[in-house]
Amino acid sequence: MAETIDIVENKVEEDAHNPKNVQRFLTFVSDNITFGVSTDYVIEIISSYMICTLPMVPDYIKGIINLRGQTIPIIDIRLRMGKMPQDYTATTCIIILEINDISVGIVVDSVTQVLDIDLDRIAPIPTQNQQELTSSMISREDGSVVLFLDCEELIRQ
Amino acid sequence: MDASMEGLLETYLFETNSLLDGLDELLINAEKIGDFSEDDVNEIFRSMHTIKGSSAMLEFNCLMEIAHHIEDLFFYIRENGIDSLDQTHKSELFNLMFKSTDKLRSEIEKVENNEPLETNIDSFVSEINGLLKKISGESEDSSAVASTASAAGTNTDSPKAALPLPDTADHVPYFIHVYFEDGCGMENLRAFMIVNALQERELKFTYYPNDVDSNPGSAEKIVADGFYVGVYSEEDLKKAATVVGESQNIRSYEMLENEETSETDQSEPEAKAESIVHDPASPAVSAAPKSKPETPAPSKKKETAAPHGAVKQDLISVNLSKLDALMALVGEIVITESMVTSSPDLQGLNLDNFNKSARQLRKLTDDLQDISMSLRMVSVSGVFQKMNRIVRDMKKNLNRDVRLTIIGENTEVDKTIVDGIGDPLMHIVRNAIDHGIEESVEDRIAAGKDPQGEVILSATHTGSEVIISVSDDGRGMDTEAILAKAARNGILTKPESDYSQKEILMLLMTPGFSTNTEVTEYSGRGVGLDVVKKNVEAIGGVVSITSELGKGSCTTLKIPLTLAIADGMEISVGNSIFTVPISNIRQSFKATEDDIVLDPAGHEMIRCMDAFYPIVRAHELYSIPDACTKIDDGILMWVEASDRSYCLFVDKLIGEHQVVVKPLPPYLQQFHIKDSGISGCTILGDGNISIILDIAHVYEAARGIF
Repeated sequence: MAETIDIVENKVEEDAHNPKNVQRFLTFVSDNITFGVSTDYVIEIISSYMICTLPMVPDYIKGIINLRGQTIPIIDIRLRMGKMPQDYTATTCIIILEINDISVGIVVDSVTQVLDIDLDRIAPIPTQNQQELTSSMISREDGSVVLFLDCEELIRQ
Repeated sequence: MDASMEGLLETYLFETNSLLDGLDELLINAEKIGDFSEDDVNEIFRSMHTIKGSSAMLEFNCLMEIAHHIEDLFFYIRENGIDSLDQTHKSELFNLMFKSTDKLRSEIEKVENNEPLETNIDSFVSEINGLLKKISGESEDSSAVASTASAAGTNTDSPKAALPLPDTADHVPYFIHVYFEDGCGMENLRAFMIVNALQERELKFTYYPNDVDSNPGSAEKIVADGFYVGVYSEEDLKKAATVVGESQNIRSYEMLENEETSETDQSEPEAKAESIVHDPASPAVSAAPKSKPETPAPSKKKETAAPHGAVKQDLISVNLSKLDALMALVGEIVITESMVTSSPDLQGLNLDNFNKSARQLRKLTDDLQDISMSLRMVSVSGVFQKMNRIVRDMKKNLNRDVRLTIIGENTEVDKTIVDGIGDPLMHIVRNAIDHGIEESVEDRIAAGKDPQGEVILSATHTGSEVIISVSDDGRGMDTEAILAKAARNGILTKPESDYSQKEILMLLMTPGFSTNTEVTEYSGRGVGLDVVKKNVEAIGGVVSITSELGKGSCTTLKIPLTLAIADGMEISVGNSIFTVPISNIRQSFKATEDDIVLDPAGHEMIRCMDAFYPIVRAHELYSIPDACTKIDDGILMWVEASDRSYCLFVDKLIGEHQVVVKPLPPYLQQFHIKDSGISGCTILGDGNISIILDIAHVYEAARGIF
């Protein structure tokens, strides 16, 4: 492990203009904002699932689903970020994440693509645009902005 | 600690704990007849030997020391026969043995919790040695010491003559020649510890072999020839001797004068050689090497696994988590099987061969389920035997004559339940003896009872649950005193006259209630029965108490046989499906609006069997839309859990199913979902999830929104 990190660092030093410090991110859209989540956390993407609602939980917990025998809680990311709820459509899907051995599913408006993102170019979000559950962002060449989901924060008790 | 060590430690803990459990049982039985049989002595000897060996291997010195000394003690008893002990010695021996197993157990617990072990066990060891001295008798003892002394004396001749003593040794006038205990292991390090200790005293000395700290091979030399410490004056010799004497694991040491340097007394150096035997258990020690060759642990295990030769058990120990995983997998198979066979795609098709195969599959999965369930079943005898020990200790300390009768100890229940009932049972048995059985024998005789009190511990199966009861033939519970006390403590919720006998006894399980005004070592802190109730409810059980003044009381625990699979009634409320454990359901019935009465606070009640019970509307509690709101449309389910009894209003009953209970995902724990009356979930045949209701908590949650 230590070795690979060394190698990456060396390469960066050698060739600062062609950085290799790249990670893959899955981007999705929720309430017209593009978010990115590291593919390290992503298990799979599912659509149209039967959600069993749970009583007496915060509204953003949509319930639990049965994913091949495993029960997984589902969080509506819109509601979790304090946005207005929206009816689920054909593009609505659930991204199953595994964060520190805890599995959760997040409901998002649509999934866009997987991007290679240079970690060095990630910048903190200006405070006036601060979103819940996000800590950093990146501006892409085409002018669009991707906010990165803070997965640890998502499952924080 | 690396992985292999971790595995070793696990095996060690398992093995040692089971040996200690076995010992406890053996001691209890032996004490009942007041004597050890020859087999018992051998068994104790063997167990201690194993504990000693494996503790030494893992360097738990304190455990090793204790086991070692007990082993010595029993070696003596084995050699001389148990009959050589008189009655007082025997009872002392029993007390010592109980104390020793407790001590060992407490140290093992420390190992389990990763705490540092006690290092100073000298007083304890001397207690063991004291008893050994007492039984072996002073005269025998001294002669034994003398014999070893002479043996050791002759011993020194040969190695000394042949010993290539280092040059330095020739210039020092005095030696201490140290022999370590056989098989204590790592002699070189032990020798080095002595060197360190001597250095701390700022003595001038030399030692041989002089590479003990750097050369592990020196251990063999020390085993063969002993360890030499050379000092320059007689005064230092004495100081060094005390240091050596205080060190551990030393079999014997002797002070010698170097003939070559000492001019004074060359005529009889042997006589000068003053042999001191560190361990008063010398006869055992000197004879021990023959009988306890230090075989590596595996062969020792074999020895204890089949103590009587003929009994061979094909047992393996499996990690519980693997069984849990198997259980979960089998649960999935059962569900998947029904998903396949009742698939909507098959509707309307006439598939003879498919149906035949499906039936065969069902039979196999049922068998598989039964077997995987039975794997987790263990008998309650382990827990019951522990009670023997508690009764024995309390008998001694409270001076009450009580006997414990055990019925049905072979009853098998799920492993988690066996683990869960240990503490509650202990509380109940303690309560029965401390509060139940009369303090004086005269009281019992006056009441026309057997002078010896009796506590009966029994376990029986009834279909889906196991019933464990503890009954005593003591003075019974004084309901008026309980009521008065409850009133004093301010835990009454209605007028005193309204309490029924059953309700009064239930008060005993309210937190902070204790009838004994005096706090004893065993009970009276007022944390007893409410903890019992909580623990038993945690494993899905119910506690009830019955009592008759003057005749005794009985505490009964009703516990489901297994927690992993339950019989449940599926109910629907709106679009949601819930499962209610069948064991909680008393009755389901239709009612009309006219049957409902309102209490002064406006809560709905209904009359069942001459009593009124509150109604909890599931759709209101969980704010479920599109559910039946009119009593006439839905159905009432009379449910009961521990002391709660009420009617749950639901839309309709779907059917009875065996369900595999799954815990809710860990992420949801933060929302205190248990408090809202949900104990877990289960996956239905069609792949949907049904929520399992915890009837007791549903009521609590409902009371919260009233």
